Amino acid sequence: MTRIIVTTSGKGGVGKTTTTANLGMALARLGRKVALVDADFGLRNLDLLLGLENRIVYTALEVLAGECRLEQALVKDKREPGLVLLPAAQNRNKEAVSPDQIQELVSALTDLYDYIVIDCPAGIEMGFKNAIAGAKEALIVTTPEIAAVRDADRVVGLLEAQGIKNIHLIVNRLRPTMVQVNDMMSVQDVQEILAIPLIGVVPEDERVIVSTNRGEPLVLAESPSLAGKAFDNIARRLEGQTVEFIDLYPTPDNFLSRLRKLLSSII
Amino acid sequence: MNSDFILPDTVSPIALPANEVNSNSQVRFKSEEGRLMLILPAEAAPPSTSSWSDIWQQLKQRLNGGDRFWQPNTTVDLIASDRLLDGRQLQAIADALAEVQLLLKRVSTSRRQTAVAAATAGYSVEQTYVAPNQTLTSSSVPLAEPLYLQMTVRSGIEIRHSGTVIVLGDLNPGGIVVANGDILIWGRLRGVAHAGADGNSKCLIMALHMEPTQLRIADYVARAPTTQLTQVYPEIAHVTPEGIRISIAADFSKSQFLSQP
Repeated sequence: MTRIIVTTSGKGGVGKTTTTANLGMALARLGRKVALVDADFGLRNLDLLLGLENRIVYTALEVLAGECRLEQALVKDKREPGLVLLPAAQNRNKEAVSPDQIQELVSALTDLYDYIVIDCPAGIEMGFKNAIAGAKEALIVTTPEIAAVRDADRVVGLLEAQGIKNIHLIVNRLRPTMVQVNDMMSVQDVQEILAIPLIGVVPEDERVIVSTNRGEPLVLAESPSLAGKAFDNIARRLEGQTVEFIDLYPTPDNFLSRLRKLLSSII
Repeated sequence: MNSDFILPDTVSPIALPANEVNSNSQVRFKSEEGRLMLILPAEAAPPSTSSWSDIWQQLKQRLNGGDRFWQPNTTVDLIASDRLLDGRQLQAIADALAEVQLLLKRVSTSRRQTAVAAATAGYSVEQTYVAPNQTLTSSSVPLAEPLYLQMTVRSGIEIRHSGTVIVLGDLNPGGIVVANGDILIWGRLRGVAHAGADGNSKCLIMALHMEPTQLRIADYVARAPTTQLTQVYPEIAHVTPEGIRISIAADFSKSQFLSQP
């Protein structure tokens, strides 16, 4: 059974594409066959984050026009053989394709891959409608900000109306120290409003910027970062594994806490 | 009266979209004498509710919101009035109903094309004729039966109903409920609630957790105090001579009783 998942958020800049790239790579590293579909026609970025920009020959648009076969447009990742990218066209806009056409592409990929992850553009217009057309599940990416959560809430409503009920939440760019002093919404605050199950919390991490610039997803890094670990955990949870959430609020390692740990391990 | 005060300066006669909630302004279900009717708003309804995609979303919301109550294999009469529906749209409605095991059986319409499409699709068709100016009835329309929904009213969702609305779930910021009767939110009220929308200032807004963006009752408008709530009780908003006030629900009926002369 191919799982067809759309990564969406409503608001821009919250980390949809970063999430898609990292989850795709992490799932491929777990031995799955993964197709990433960039549905952001006209403003494609997914290829950059994956470092595959210079390998693109054909795009989804040429496939739809019948100018090439689907396999020709799929860009294979050199690092992970299980990962392919179906790039969007950069020289057109969102109106260049219709929901039916995206659905056609997705169903052509179905059964060839274990996961199809669709990267949705920001907004709730045509590009959004295209991206969700073929999806069976959704990952909502939000940052702990009122505006992002409000937009995520709107998107959840639209997804539900489209019959996509399997929706999970990723809270991205969380700053634990700011949450602790009440300067940032906590994961609980976000969940209270959105009322959908949580699948991952990704802390703010400067290395995301570095990895984006280099085109190397975080999960590939030699020395694992906290954010990379968080993405890897989300991939494992998608696979059905039970993975503990990373403790982002480590208690200071003093005598008392060590004693408590020791005692609880004895009991 | 021991009420939590809402800032009195906010009680201002903002121009509200008056009488917008006519009985047919959103998709609704109604059961009458054992038959379940799905009533679509007339084409003449406000433009915000008239496009097919809006109708479609409202239908899905109503179906999801009443999920537990649909009896399998109940037949549905579609009251399309003057709305133009093509074969594909009828099929979409039938499919959505089939998802909750409801069966579309009959279509009632005043449009010839809709009647033809419905007949082609194999539904029994009832042609009606719209009496001219029927929609321009006076405001003294009796309330519709309460609308009970189990859902989160999320940002961007607008629930309109010409009776009382009961929501089992939260009303989120950016969401709005407009009712001609009372509004009861069995959950957190954080969005906008407008009770008594056709002018009845005796209507009430009730919530387990009252943190509204804005409350409206009839022509009165109020926003919540900007101070953070420290304790949370179920509360009731009502209109007093000073404007909209909020009372603790447990004391509300008593205070109403005691304030009577």
